[in-house]
This record gives sequence, structure tokens and C-alpha cells, in this order.
Amino acid sequence: MDILACPIDKHYPLELHIFEETEEISEGVIVCPECLRWYPIREEIPEMLPDNLRNEKDELPFMQKWKQKFPKQILQEGKPFNLEKKE
Amino acid sequence: MENEKIKEHIKKRYSEIAKADCSSCSTTSCSSSCCSSSSCDAAPQYVAWKLGYSPADIESVPENAISGLGCGNPVALASLKEGETVLDLGSGGGMDAFLASKKVGPQGKVIGVDMTSEMVQKARATALEHGYTNVEFRLGEIEALPIEDETVDVIISNCVVNLAPDKLKVFKEAYRVLKPNGRLMVSDLVTHGTLPADVKSSFDAWSSCIAGALEKDDYLNKIATAGFKNIKIVSQKPYTIDLSKELRGKIVSIQVEAHKSS
Repeated sequence: MDILACPIDKHYPLELHIFEETEEISEGVIVCPECLRWYPIREEIPEMLPDNLRNEKDELPFMQKWKQKFPKQILQEGKPFNLEKKE
Repeated sequence: MENEKIKEHIKKRYSEIAKADCSSCSTTSCSSSCCSSSSCDAAPQYVAWKLGYSPADIESVPENAISGLGCGNPVALASLKEGETVLDLGSGGGMDAFLASKKVGPQGKVIGVDMTSEMVQKARATALEHGYTNVEFRLGEIEALPIEDETVDVIISNCVVNLAPDKLKVFKEAYRVLKPNGRLMVSDLVTHGTLPADVKSSFDAWSSCIAGALEKDDYLNKIATAGFKNIKIVSQKPYTIDLSKELRGKIVSIQVEAHKSS
């Protein structure tokens, strides 16, 4: 997590929420508290892509899956997409 | 051509390469990759040697990290010192990141950024399998780095910047994340003169590192515009691998060193 910054507004530090952990964090989410963007960690890889390269169809189900563990504000206001917007 | 379409095409092409077994090179995707081997019969280790890597270096990295891609960046790797933090732009299968990992040692750190998910997964799996603990890979775009300001000692990159539609943005991002006195050590393809229009507009030429290549002076000027000082070409040679006759002599592989002021 050190030196990891938001690719959009370059904010540091970012918030880490761990969903599943073995030796490393296998699933989780990284949140930029400044712009409310969220970045998934899947298969131990932080996916820090800018908005234009993100895939809503692929990432929203991830948010749905971990709904209980996601920060509430991100579920409702997270960028570039969130569960609220979908409904 | 639209930048987004170029990026989509490049991601697709390189995810195919990541999935293909390039050590046997039986698929067509191998032959048309960026700066790829001259023939599908050539072992990636042989290509790596032709690109300037020493046999000792080639033997020291996991075999599946050697893709035979790139223009080679041995000068940059040779410059690394113990304890340095290194960022590899477009880390692909991870060969340069793993070589860098050995040079910087346990006190140092290597971060690889690549926008192709399959490449990052492959590099990550290789790191785990071979016990590299000071290397991490992130899915990201080199035009929008997920890295804090002024935290990196050295940026390396091997034949990747030419794939980015907005090269000035790449160099500005590189400048931002480098510490004062940090250095950029990139290897890339540039052109002598302008390329034919049909080559420039071909997606395949983009993903083969040709259409996206800038004229040499233009490339160096963009590095200067981003803020770098003491920019010099440390080595260069004509690039001939997989080139049609009309392009021979027009493509040059260069290794550039540039510095951020203190």
C-alpha cells in the first residue's frame, strides 16, 4: 500500500478494505477518500485503471458480491460506478 | 485513429500473447507482437540475447518471464543500485522487473505497471512461484500512474512508450513520480523520418510498435517538455526484426537516459 496513489487525482494515502486474505490480500477494495473512486483487488492484484479502461459489467458484480463489506458511501456514491446508480 | 480504439486493440493483442505459450511459438499471435522475435522458430532466450541481455541474466530469470518481446534495456538494468525503488512501465511478463529485483536486492523494491490483465496475472504468478518478494505488479495505465509523487528512484521501460497514444502524458507522469535526482532509463523504437500513411493508420502496426513510434527528435523533445534534464541517447541501433522492406532503415531502437533535477 505504500506509494500507491489514485491514478486520477494522485491522492495519497488510499484506504484499504480487506475482504479475503491468505498470505496476501486476495480480495479487497482500495478507495480514494478524495474523489471516492474505488479500485478492486482481485486474485491479489490491485486494479488501478483510470475510468476509461474500466469495465462496469465485470466490476459491478464484484461490488455486489462484497456488498456487506464495502464502505456504505462507496456503494452509493463510489466512482466511476456504484450500486445506487444501477438501481 | 481514436486513442480508445488503439488501447483496446493493444490490450487484446497482448492478452493473446500472455495466454499463448511463447516458448513454443505455435500461435500466430507470437509472430506479430511488439518487437517480437524474427522468426517463430527462435527461442525467446536467443532473442533476449540478441537484444543485449547477457547469458547470465537470461539464465537468472524464470523461463516463462522471457517473452522475447521488447527492444532490450540492458543499460538501464546495469545502472541499478542496491536499495533503489524501480518502476517498470509496461512490465509485461516481468522479465525486466525480475532482473531489476536481483539488482536492487532485499532493501530495494520493484513495481511493474501494465494495462493488460493477463500479463499482470502471468507476471504475478511467476513472482509467487519463484519467490520474488520485492516485486509487485499492478494493473494500471502508464498515462495515469497509480503511484505517489516523488517516490521512485529509477523508471525503466522496454519498448512500451511507443504503444501509448499520448507520450507526453507518459513522460509527465514519469517525472511526477520520480524523486528529485531520479532517472528515466527507457528503451524504445523511434523513426527516421515520417512513416507511410497506411502504416500510421493500421491497428496492427500500432500493436507491433511501429505506427505509434515517434520521430527521434520529437521523442526526445517530449521528454524535455515533461521537465527532464541531461537527456542523452546511451545506445542506438537500426531495428530490423519483422519489418517489411519499405520500413527497413526507418526504425531505430534507442536507449535514452534522462534526469529529474534536485
